[in-house]
Amino acid sequence: MKIAVCVKHAVDEAELKVDSGGNPQLAGAASKMSTFDKNAVEEALRVKAAHSGEVVVISVGTSDAKKTLKEALAMGADRGVLIGADPLVVDTIYTARLLAAAIAKGGQYDIVLCSEGSSDSYSGLVPPMLAEVLGLPYIGYVRKLEITGQSAKAERSLEDSVEVVEAPLPFVASVVSEINEPRYPTLIQIMQAGKKPMEELSPQTLAPDAKALGSMVASMKAQAMARKRVVFEGPPGDVAKKLLDALTTEGVLPK
Amino acid sequence: MAIYNAEHRRLMEMFYPEEHEDYSQVLSSLGKFMEKEILPLSSKFDTGEAQIKGARKGLFEQGLSQIAFPTEFGGLGLPFCVYSNAIELLGTADASIALSVEIHNAVAEGIHRFGSSEQSKKYLPRILSGKSLASFTLTEPASGSDAATMATTATKKGGEYSINGSKMFITNAGDADLYLAFAKTSKGPSCFIIEAPNPGLSFGADLKKMGMRGSRTSEVVFSDCRVPEENLVGEEGKGADYAKEILHGARIIVAALNVGIARIAYDKSLAYAKQRKAFGKTISEFQLIREKIADMKAGISAGRLLYFYASRIREMGGDYSSEASQAKVFATEMSLKVCDDAIQIQGGYGYTTDDVHRHWRDARLLTIGEGTSEVLRMLISRRELASSQ
Repeated sequence: MKIAVCVKHAVDEAELKVDSGGNPQLAGAASKMSTFDKNAVEEALRVKAAHSGEVVVISVGTSDAKKTLKEALAMGADRGVLIGADPLVVDTIYTARLLAAAIAKGGQYDIVLCSEGSSDSYSGLVPPMLAEVLGLPYIGYVRKLEITGQSAKAERSLEDSVEVVEAPLPFVASVVSEINEPRYPTLIQIMQAGKKPMEELSPQTLAPDAKALGSMVASMKAQAMARKRVVFEGPPGDVAKKLLDALTTEGVLPK
Repeated sequence: MAIYNAEHRRLMEMFYPEEHEDYSQVLSSLGKFMEKEILPLSSKFDTGEAQIKGARKGLFEQGLSQIAFPTEFGGLGLPFCVYSNAIELLGTADASIALSVEIHNAVAEGIHRFGSSEQSKKYLPRILSGKSLASFTLTEPASGSDAATMATTATKKGGEYSINGSKMFITNAGDADLYLAFAKTSKGPSCFIIEAPNPGLSFGADLKKMGMRGSRTSEVVFSDCRVPEENLVGEEGKGADYAKEILHGARIIVAALNVGIARIAYDKSLAYAKQRKAFGKTISEFQLIREKIADMKAGISAGRLLYFYASRIREMGGDYSSEASQAKVFATEMSLKVCDDAIQIQGGYGYTTDDVHRHWRDARLLTIGEGTSEVLRMLISRRELASSQ
């Protein structure tokens, strides 16, 4: 079983600072492996443990993204591939085309795993685009994955329902965080991860014809969520009643 | 909250321009483990609603104890500073586990530095992997830093020693599988490895402590506790010197642990000050609160630099005994003050909330344990006076 996992070295949203004008301070911001990508790596490692094979982690990123690849290698992936481009500059279709080129170059993969979206920009566009470019079936938002022989059965976690689908191998899937609990690499695995192979590819040689659509992020603003700040005062019984009424009016509770 | 944050990262980069990325990856991974597996349970360890055993085992499996030991004995061969920084992070996540692990590691250090290579081969892999929990048994009911006055004896009979006496305030007592015990032979204080269970080894009731409640502490009693002669560490009569050396290293670690306690108390009170309102504004707007915030922050930064500095001298092979003592005196007293200020900032909630005042209760131990502030000031000043002549 040969599994590719696409990972992104993302801005650490938990440590991101926003200036008084609402602009996120991206320069020099702390970074990390995109949160749900860990679930994708974990799932790949579980499939490998059950069926044996190889797990290759692939990232479009600057040299900083080696940290994320190394973390995936520490978790247990076998080798890493870095495609040198800045994900803050390239658009999603170009990212998908680069990933597809690296996957095609790497030979016959049985499974390509992504997460539902990156924890910084969270467009969720790359996984389906990647499936389209590769011409493979796509299963989005997977919360459970079973591989039997040459086919997969997956539970898709949708807004108000769970859909069970089947697909032949190879396929592309995006996973949601409920699919598993990512393992912590031990310190010795972290130290040894540096010894695992990591290949660096340039977009020009990998996919000279791949083009961006040119859709770029023009600006990015932090969104402030306004709170209603309603305070009820009075004896507990009255306050509880008022709270119930308010929650019902707001549609939180059914009428 | 990121337990391993940008400030730690920057210091690592300054101290280790070449290797800092690897070290930061190790520490950041440990930090994430602690954020998820330890920090949320910390107040429950204090109240007894949860036990530290499982979390401690998890830390051992991650490799916390392996950091600064050579690879040939199951270590990672990383600098001492990476280990001390890891203990700072653990102090932030939970001080009582940090104490338990720190003592455990001090035993590994003693065996590694003063034991035979056979002893290192036999015991270090067990200790560093956490398969065996270790306990350091030096202090007695009537003997503390003046280790030479110990009353516990070891008498050689045939191929073994018979140890008799008792040890007091022993961390990990009862839970541990290995005890590094100090007892007097005819040649003076000597050091032994005792494996539990042993029919001559028993324990008093758990002591009711003010803080550090997650870790077990009790009296350890030796009554004709037989130990094979190959379990003597180093030479007879040199035990007090070994203990002193082990404690110098442990003092750096205790300093780091206290920086970690101060950090969590500070973070909580800073968050509180930003949202608590008085007289129509948040209390963080008041100058007297701001003064506390500034002093707390400066103390934490200074404490961290002191233990980094002492760690680095140790790594470079210098005499770090005074710097270790300076780091411990400063960091333990700083953290007590920071925890006290944290209670003050949080007012009535500080005094009545376990999760706030527990940091002060935890910190309170460490101006006493592993060398009191008074004894350490004696050591520091003694060296200053000797060298100025």
